[in-house]
Amino acid sequence: MRVGASWRKPKGIDNCVRRRFKGQMAMPSIGFGSNKKTRHMMPSGHKAFLVHNTKDVELLLMHNRTFAAEIGHAVSSRKRVEIIEKAKALGVKVTNPKGRVTTEA
Amino acid sequence: MSSNISNDLVWEITRNQNSFLVNRNSGGGSQFSRDPLNLLNKHSYKYAGYSNTKAVGVQPTENGVAVITKKPSNPQQPAQNLVTVTYGPSTANRKIYKGVADRTAKNNYRADLREEAVARVSAVRRSQLPKKDAPAQKPRGSKARKAEESE
Repeated sequence: MRVGASWRKPKGIDNCVRRRFKGQMAMPSIGFGSNKKTRHMMPSGHKAFLVHNTKDVELLLMHNRTFAAEIGHAVSSRKRVEIIEKAKALGVKVTNPKGRVTTEA
Repeated sequence: MSSNISNDLVWEITRNQNSFLVNRNSGGGSQFSRDPLNLLNKHSYKYAGYSNTKAVGVQPTENGVAVITKKPSNPQQPAQNLVTVTYGPSTANRKIYKGVADRTAKNNYRADLREEAVARVSAVRRSQLPKKDAPAQKPRGSKARKAEESE
């Protein structure tokens, strides 16, 4: 999690958040950062890599332990099937394999 | 590369922008390379095939493996410098490993790439094996109760 770009540090003289009163929202500080080794990592231990076609999946052949493929939102269902098939052959995890491929029963 | 342009210069010029480079912002930002002579598809000088006089590439063919190397003798004609050795589907994996390891590491070629070359052959061969279907998922929750009732 990260605070939005429009976040401003409270500056008011009576501001309870600035004075860090109990029960108020927490203010961002460097201590909330995650470990560099696990930063951007998904619970599966992979980092996401955006793919749009099977050629992109092939890039991950030697990195299937560290990167997982994430299919771009505008990719058609026909191409998604091809991408998922390729990813399975290469042992690459796909983070969103169900999108546009399965239909609701 | 060329005889009067050093490898390092080519890399310095092309490292920020080249046709093989794939940049992504997702997952904290990553850089990959589509270079066929790049063993790890990793954007780095060591693995960049186009900016090294000697480089090794391992590419899948129709259920086989093609191993590409570069001849350092004729830098002015890069297309004619490629030497391709293909291994068919019937060749034993260990035979291919040995062939690839010898091509990369012997004759003072690129001994630093031997491990990666063999690893890539292994990964390519594994990707060509027939894949099992995922087992059917057991129904859980309300669907499981419904399935039990219907039985």
